[in-house]
Amino acid sequence: MKARINPRVLGAGFLLAASGALALYGQPDLEQKWAYMAPEYASRLEYREVYIDPAELLHLINDDYIDLIIYDVRNERDWNMFHLVDSERIDLKDLPSQRKRLRGLSELSVVVVVSNDEILATRAWKRLLALAKPNVYILEGGINHWLNVYGVMGDEHESHGTASLARPDGTLRHPFKLALGARHAASRPDEHRVAHREYTEKVKLLKKVKKAGGCD
Amino acid sequence: MAPYNLAAALGATGSYLVYLGIGFCFGFILESSGFGDSRKLAAQFYFRELRVLKVMFTAIVVAMLLVFWSSALGLLDYGDIMVKETWLWPGIVGGLVMGVGFILGGYCPGTSLVSVATLKVDGMFFLLGHVVGVLAFGETVGYINEFWNSSYMGRFILPDLLGLDTGVVAFLVVCLALAMFLGFGWVQKRIYGRGDPE
Repeated sequence: MKARINPRVLGAGFLLAASGALALYGQPDLEQKWAYMAPEYASRLEYREVYIDPAELLHLINDDYIDLIIYDVRNERDWNMFHLVDSERIDLKDLPSQRKRLRGLSELSVVVVVSNDEILATRAWKRLLALAKPNVYILEGGINHWLNVYGVMGDEHESHGTASLARPDGTLRHPFKLALGARHAASRPDEHRVAHREYTEKVKLLKKVKKAGGCD
Repeated sequence: MAPYNLAAALGATGSYLVYLGIGFCFGFILESSGFGDSRKLAAQFYFRELRVLKVMFTAIVVAMLLVFWSSALGLLDYGDIMVKETWLWPGIVGGLVMGVGFILGGYCPGTSLVSVATLKVDGMFFLLGHVVGVLAFGETVGYINEFWNSSYMGRFILPDLLGLDTGVVAFLVVCLALAMFLGFGWVQKRIYGRGDPE
């Protein structure tokens, strides 16, 4: 006599097998997740839609209507030498700790990642996108470019000039006399006093800002 | 990568048709499984009939495996799936209130809608009470605002609680569901001398 398989047992076995296989297969880490997302988002990097000019970042820093988070993903030494006021230093490997915060951001939030050039910041951008898809951008040319634009000669050695952006190697190429962190004049230049700089606006808020003044 | 914006892909009408189709299938399965009958729903609390429980938990584990396998294969971004945030103590109290209401009334809010679709009078009254209760809650929640907003934990899921990989937790949940089916079936046979009809 042919033995019949109970469909309930078959179903239970299938569920156990599928869940056991899932436990072994695991969930994608941030690198794998980016690989899955790349077909949809990589063009933003390719067409440099997310690389913002230092002048646009300076404008964001001074815009009180925007909740701005600046992640500085450089090493501690370079951070101690110079960093932007209100930026937060974080290692790439520690970015997952920001998941909850990033998921809770408002529609008026903008995240900007900075590194010495664009190499580390671009890696951080991919991870942040895989982590929580925040409204995230990269400082074009990194801190080296920022200092080219807003740097103060007196803060640096005589060799100070403009760091070449042609061959980015991820290093800080501005030689500072002292490690002053955010106490450099270039850490938060006065938007109204620096030379006007033309740029293409790239930051798009998820919600339109309703700006009102006076008694409104 | 899913979830997709249906309205953008199919237009408003197209997306409404998809929702209609899913709703139809959902209602069809609920009604055919006995979710529209308060006697069958209440019977599970006395281990008299476990069909509703089995359908419910099977649906939960199947959906869970589909979600996390889709996520593992890069077909779905689980981070984009809406997960109700946790307010621990208000959630526990709310669960107790709902559990008592479920046993006393024979329905939960969703199943009362299923019963109304087949014009069951008890379901209609339950739904009416439900609507009045919602309105009364809305008018009085201000008095318990502090408790209502207490113990907020954000998006908090079992892997966060257990500190285990999502796949391992999914496996444990499946084991739990199967153990529950077996255990409750055993209790049912002990009390009533029979299992659920095939």
